[in-house]
Amino acid sequence: MTIVGGVSTSAHRRDEYLQAARIAVEPDAVHIELDLTPGIEMAAAVIADIDSNRDGSLSIEERRAYSNQVLSALQVEVDGKPLQVELADSGFPETEAMRRGEGTIRLQLATTVPGQSTGTHQVLFRNHHHRDSSVYLANALVPTSDRVAVTGQRRVGDQSELTIDYVMRAPAETSLPIWLLSGIAAGAIGMLGLRRGNSTGRGGDSCAVPGS
Amino acid sequence: MGMPMTTRTSAVLVLGCLAALTATGLAQRSATPAAVAVTPATATARIVTAAQALLATLDEAGRAKVQFPFAGPQKTRWSNLPGPMFQREGLRLGDLTPTQRTAVTALLSTALSPSGYRKVAEIMGGDEALRNAGATAGPPGTGGRGRGGRPGGPGGGGPRFGEDEYFLAFVGTPSTTAPWMLQFGGHHLAINLTLGGSQASMTPSLPATQPASYTVEGRTIRPLGQENDKAFALINALDTGQRAQAILNYRVADLVLGPGQDGRTIQPEGIRASALSPPQQTMLLEVVREWSGIVTDAFAEPRMTEIRSNLPQTYLAWSGPTTNGSAAYFRIQGPTLVIEYAPQGGVDHIHTIYRDPTNDYGAKFTR
Repeated sequence: MTIVGGVSTSAHRRDEYLQAARIAVEPDAVHIELDLTPGIEMAAAVIADIDSNRDGSLSIEERRAYSNQVLSALQVEVDGKPLQVELADSGFPETEAMRRGEGTIRLQLATTVPGQSTGTHQVLFRNHHHRDSSVYLANALVPTSDRVAVTGQRRVGDQSELTIDYVMRAPAETSLPIWLLSGIAAGAIGMLGLRRGNSTGRGGDSCAVPGS
Repeated sequence: MGMPMTTRTSAVLVLGCLAALTATGLAQRSATPAAVAVTPATATARIVTAAQALLATLDEAGRAKVQFPFAGPQKTRWSNLPGPMFQREGLRLGDLTPTQRTAVTALLSTALSPSGYRKVAEIMGGDEALRNAGATAGPPGTGGRGRGGRPGGPGGGGPRFGEDEYFLAFVGTPSTTAPWMLQFGGHHLAINLTLGGSQASMTPSLPATQPASYTVEGRTIRPLGQENDKAFALINALDTGQRAQAILNYRVADLVLGPGQDGRTIQPEGIRASALSPPQQTMLLEVVREWSGIVTDAFAEPRMTEIRSNLPQTYLAWSGPTTNGSAAYFRIQGPTLVIEYAPQGGVDHIHTIYRDPTNDYGAKFTR
C-alpha cells in the first residue's frame, strides 16, 4: 500500500515577513497590536537587525531600538492629521524560535486622540516595515466602546495601508435607550415645574427640595 | 506506556479509518430515527465512557501524561505548527500500544460525527503523505528534514510529520456534569471540544491540510475538499451585484484569527447573508456545516440552529479568484461564528479556523 502526495516543499511560510495589525479605535485613543513573524529564511536577517552587537542575545536596548525602527516605518493619521505612536508594550521570542519560523514579535502601540467630536472620522494606518519582503494583514477590531461604530474599511491591495471609517457618538446617545431618556426628560420637566412652583419667593435655591 | 507502533503504515491507518467510518456511517443511516436522535447529555455520557475506557488502558504514567487541570494553561496550547516547532503535551499516538490507540480511535469516533472523524483521519493522512514525501521545513544546513522520529534522535530538531505525531489531552477530568475538554491535535489540526453536561463547544478548532490532495491506493483524498468546493459553488451562485459586495479588493495571505488570537473580534466585512436569496443562504449554511458538523450530531445540530438564527447578521467575505482550483481566501463571520479558509500561497496548503467569539473554550458554560 502506498500514499502518494504531491508535496515538495515546506509546510510553512519561509521567505516572507508576516506582519499582522489589529487596530482598536476608542473614543480617546487608537490602540494597535502588531505581530511580526519572520519566515524561516527571513529570520537570520531580522535577528541581525535586532542583535546589533552580534552577541547572540537580544538585550532590552536592542529590543527597544528595533521596536523604534518598526515604529518609524508606521504612519497613523486621524482625519489626515499625523499622530505620534508610542510603544506601550512589547514581547520578543527566543531567537531559536524565530529561526524555526515560529517566533512572533508582539508590539502593543497606542496613540491618544483627545477631544474627538461627534460625527464621522477616519484613521489611516500605514506599515512600510520591510516593505520588500512582507505579507501584511490589517484589520479593525470591533470597538469596545459603544460610542464608536466602524462604518467601513479600505485597504490597498497588499494591506500595507488600511483606512478605517468610523462614527463617534455622544456619550448620552448610546448609554440609555430612547424610551428611558424620554422618561427621564419628562420626569425632569415635571420636577422643574414642581420646583418652580415651590421655590417662589425662596431666592431660587435650585437645590431646594419640595417641603424641605 | 507500552510498545510503540513504529511498524504501522499510514496507508493501513487511513484506509482502516475510512473503512471503520463507512461501517459507522452505514450503521447510523440504517438505524431508526429514534436511535439516531441522541440527546446532548447522552452524547456527553458516551464520550465520557469512551474517555474512561481509554484511561483504563493506561498505566499511572500514561494517565499523568494525558490529564491536565481545567484551570491551567493547557486549554489554549494548540497550534497549526508541527513539533518541535510547537511542543505539544499529552499522549503521543506514536507512543501508544495498539489497544491504547484503538481506544483513542473509539473516543474520537464517539466525540466526532462520521464526516468529522473522516476529516480528522484524512488530515492526519495528509501529514503522513507529507512525511513520506520528505518535506523540509528547516533552514538550509540545519538538517531539519521532516522524517518523523523523536526529539534528539537522528535528524536533529527538524519538524516531525506523520500520524504518530498527534497528541491527546484531557483538560479537566472527564465528567458528565463538570466542564472538561478533549483536546486532540498535531500538525495542521487542533480539535478543542469543551463539554459541560449537556452543553458543548468545539471552538476554537483548526482543521488544515497539506497536501490538499493525495492518493491512497489510487483513490484521491481531499481532506478539505468539500469546504473548497462548496465555497466556490456559493461564490459562483452570487450575481454580479452580490459579488461586488462579497469580494474584497485586497489579498488575505493568512488567517486573521488563527492560533494565539483568542478573545479578539474583528469588524465583519463582505456581503450580509440577509442580502442572499434563500437558496444561496442554504449554500452558505452548507459551507458552515463543514466545520460545525465535525462534532457529533447531538452538538452539531443545536449549533447549526444557533448559526441559522444569526444568519441576518452573518457576513461572507471572499478574496481571490472565483474559479474552482484557484487559491482563494474566504471568511464567514456572524455574532457567534468565525470561519476562515486561507490557502498558503497556493492550493495545496490550506489553513482554516473555526471560532465562536462568545463561546470559545465553552466560555458560556464554564464560568
